[in-house]
Amino acid sequence: MAQNASSNALASSSDTLLSAEMMAKLERMELISRKIFRGRMKGERRSKRKGQSVEFSDFRNYVAGDDLRFIDWNLFARLDRLYLKIFLEEEDLHVYTLVDDSLSMDFGAPTKFLTAKRIAAALGYIGLCRGDRVSVSTFSKAASPLVVRGRSGSHRLIGHWQGAACQNPAPTMEESVRRFCLKNTGKGIVILITDLLNKTGYETALKMLVAREMDIYLIHVLSPEELEPKLTGDLKLLDAEDSDMREVSISASLLQRYKLTLDAFIDSARSFCNRRSIAYVSVRSDQDIDPLMNEYLRTRGLVR
Amino acid sequence: MTWINMLSAWQWLLLLAIPPAILSLYFLKLKRQESVVSSTMLWKRAIEDLHVNSIWQKLRKNLLLYLQLLFVGLLIMACIRPGWSGMNRAGERRIYIIDHSASMQASDSKPSRLALARDKALKLMKDAASNDSAMVIATSDRASVEQGFTNNRSLLEKAVQRIEPTSQLTDVSEAFRVAAGLANPGRMSFEDNVDIQVAEAVPATVYFFSDGAVGELNEAEFGQLKIEYVPIGDVDTQNAGILSFAVQRPDTDSAKAKQGSIAAFARMIHHGSETIQCTASLYLNNSLVDAQRVELAPGQETGIQFDLEGVDNGSLKLELDHADALPLDNVAYAAIRPDRQVSILLITAGNTAIETALRTERITQLANVQVEPRSYMSSPEYLTSTTQGKYDLIIYDSCSPEKMPTASTLFIGGLPPKDIQPRSNEPSSESSNGDAQAAVQSSDEQTWSFGEPTGPIMIMDVNRSHPISQYLEMLSVGIVEGRIVKPPQTGTILMVSDIGPVFAVAPRGPYQDAVLGFDIIRQTGDGFEMNSDWGIKRSFPVFIFSAVEQLAGGITEAGAPTVQPGMPIPLMLSNRFQNYQIIDPKGRTQTIERGADGRFLYTKTDEIGVYEVRAAGLEDPVERFCVNLFSNRESNLSVGMELSTGAESILATPNTIRARQEVWRWLLLLALGLLMLEWIVFNRRIFI
Repeated sequence: MAQNASSNALASSSDTLLSAEMMAKLERMELISRKIFRGRMKGERRSKRKGQSVEFSDFRNYVAGDDLRFIDWNLFARLDRLYLKIFLEEEDLHVYTLVDDSLSMDFGAPTKFLTAKRIAAALGYIGLCRGDRVSVSTFSKAASPLVVRGRSGSHRLIGHWQGAACQNPAPTMEESVRRFCLKNTGKGIVILITDLLNKTGYETALKMLVAREMDIYLIHVLSPEELEPKLTGDLKLLDAEDSDMREVSISASLLQRYKLTLDAFIDSARSFCNRRSIAYVSVRSDQDIDPLMNEYLRTRGLVR
Repeated sequence: MTWINMLSAWQWLLLLAIPPAILSLYFLKLKRQESVVSSTMLWKRAIEDLHVNSIWQKLRKNLLLYLQLLFVGLLIMACIRPGWSGMNRAGERRIYIIDHSASMQASDSKPSRLALARDKALKLMKDAASNDSAMVIATSDRASVEQGFTNNRSLLEKAVQRIEPTSQLTDVSEAFRVAAGLANPGRMSFEDNVDIQVAEAVPATVYFFSDGAVGELNEAEFGQLKIEYVPIGDVDTQNAGILSFAVQRPDTDSAKAKQGSIAAFARMIHHGSETIQCTASLYLNNSLVDAQRVELAPGQETGIQFDLEGVDNGSLKLELDHADALPLDNVAYAAIRPDRQVSILLITAGNTAIETALRTERITQLANVQVEPRSYMSSPEYLTSTTQGKYDLIIYDSCSPEKMPTASTLFIGGLPPKDIQPRSNEPSSESSNGDAQAAVQSSDEQTWSFGEPTGPIMIMDVNRSHPISQYLEMLSVGIVEGRIVKPPQTGTILMVSDIGPVFAVAPRGPYQDAVLGFDIIRQTGDGFEMNSDWGIKRSFPVFIFSAVEQLAGGITEAGAPTVQPGMPIPLMLSNRFQNYQIIDPKGRTQTIERGADGRFLYTKTDEIGVYEVRAAGLEDPVERFCVNLFSNRESNLSVGMELSTGAESILATPNTIRARQEVWRWLLLLALGLLMLEWIVFNRRIFI
């Protein structure tokens, strides 16, 4: 009874981010890690660590002091030598979610940041349901992430995202990722949700993550206004982040040129990620969260 | 494509200032709307290559600006009046030759052929490009440059309008020579008394406006000229005209018996396709005296004759009452010369040869001859008559007066008195130079000089160009004795013998003196003996007649001379008067002064009709002459569609005068359309 009440309360508080129905769907999902990491606590994920799961891993010679329970007596009978059976350990998975909270994300209808928060909340909720260690942070608070574990932490998780807002000024992506890497020494899945519209570039930041040998998912969020701008006339374009100004006279050819530039930008990001085994997922900010999670991300191998 | 500048310099400056003004307006006009985007990164990349020149980037892809610039461009284009025609005339040189001969007065083209030619020329001028230079030549039997090469169109138009009809014949070769000459390089044109080389050495196009009655042209004269022949008039214009009209005193005895018997002959032609009948009326001093019905067959000449009696003096007019396009050749004039008798005084001791020669029929018709002995020269009557100018000619046979008479003289054998020397060329007037020898030599050339008698002599040569000696045959003439006769510089040697000149003529004021250096009959102590056998030769009476005709100014023909319009007529004026008045058919008077030899070349024969030469104090005119068209070519009004130039011919180019195809109106319309389009585009931009 008490659990039911808490689930409803959770749904009501996360109306803007995740509906109850959506959360119910998410509970059945699981984040896919393409790598096997060493966890910190006992969990449901296979770990690199040898331990006491049911899954056999290897044999090794017995040395004095080993637990006699793991000696393979059948082998001893055949070879007359003592061998120890080693089993794989099952540990928890570290899921890091890093969301771009620069002002460029506060753009579009709905804003890219809202979509990013929804995705982050949904993925975090999946992780919590699977007993993973979920660490969420934004670019501006990369050094002080919120770390939650277990379904009970879902309140905190969703509450965290509810209160998150775009920061001005926000640190650059490179700076944020550098801080993130210094703070989080463990390995796991990194879900980076950003629009990549960073004038200093995204390459260095991604390379830093790659160097940590993490399983990186890059969710590239772009708004429809960016994908298909509905601008006309002679305009003075103001950058939301640094107030940079560009004077343009919108014409069909300029729009076409912009589209080509955008396509080239997306393509370069995608190929950069592919070359470095970063899973690149492109998301429109006006995409509905339900089909996004259940179909879009599933088909792209982020969840199952 | 050719252009005509319609604007002045300041207007051009104003017009050309508009496009920069539009451009600057576009810089000022762009008040951009602010729009916040997530990042300008992608936009910056998209417009990166357009930022090479930020000024031009602003102008790029701006349809409105282009439309406006195009609009102004079209306006400017319209202002220079682009156009084209079948002819290439960019900066070309044109020569307008307009025929204003008699046949161009024909009224088959209303109001006249000349007016039509002027209109066509003016139209062609209007269509010329502004940098074309042109000249205007009016041609009849002579060419006159009405306007030299200029690109001032108003001068050219005035020159064309100045061209008036004439009654003259057609001879275009001079016009083409003038045109070819002026089309050559290095020629100058005169405009406001300033020498300007208006035109470069480029081939010129000649627009020849004529009815084609020009005869054959010499193609070699064209040079670099390109001939465009514009025929004026109708091809099948019919016209009847008089080709000749003359009067003659009949030679027959019966006619001679009648006093003042005159026969008038006329020849007429009809250029047409049908035989016509008309009446030829003859007027004497503007009174109808006779008329004849004439039938004129097409293309054939018809002659008629009128016989008049009791007519001694007056002017005749023959008129055809046929209404055709050219009335000018339906009238012909002839004048009956006054029966003028000259007075001749012969002073001789007795010379049968001369006396006989002066009694010939021709001389008695024109002269009264008075024969006197030498003693007559000392009589008071002689002195009176010679000082009063009673005689036209005094012949001194083997004698000499003390003083030269106021008459022309012929000395046969005698030595003229000293005052025969020209008065205005006295040696004393020359000696003031200080060079005595030169003065003597000069005085020799200025005065008569006579040698001593020597003989025998033989005539070597006779001056065939002088009317006195032109018919003389002297080779068989024997001369016992003669002397050298050297005339002053103004004189003419008529005979040269083996010892030198023996016969000469020279003017003395209004008179002429002829001196023959040998006698016909000379007086010796034994009486008279023949000095020369010339008196019995056939050429002697011819000589006497020529001398009487030329020195006394006698007239033998009944009909006055007639010339075609514009042609000069030589007049032989009697020495009785110093000044004469010539009255033309319109009553205008021109006073002329008799020259030393009594000859005068009258050139103002532009009007058709009878001209009278009058002297002060005389009721009747001393001479008449007529100007008549008398030209088969001018009377033939059928317009030739080609000009013959020997081997080839120039075809008529009736389509030469094509309307200039102007496009400026279309450009303006297009500009208007563009203005509307621009308005629509502007509005669309507002609505978005």
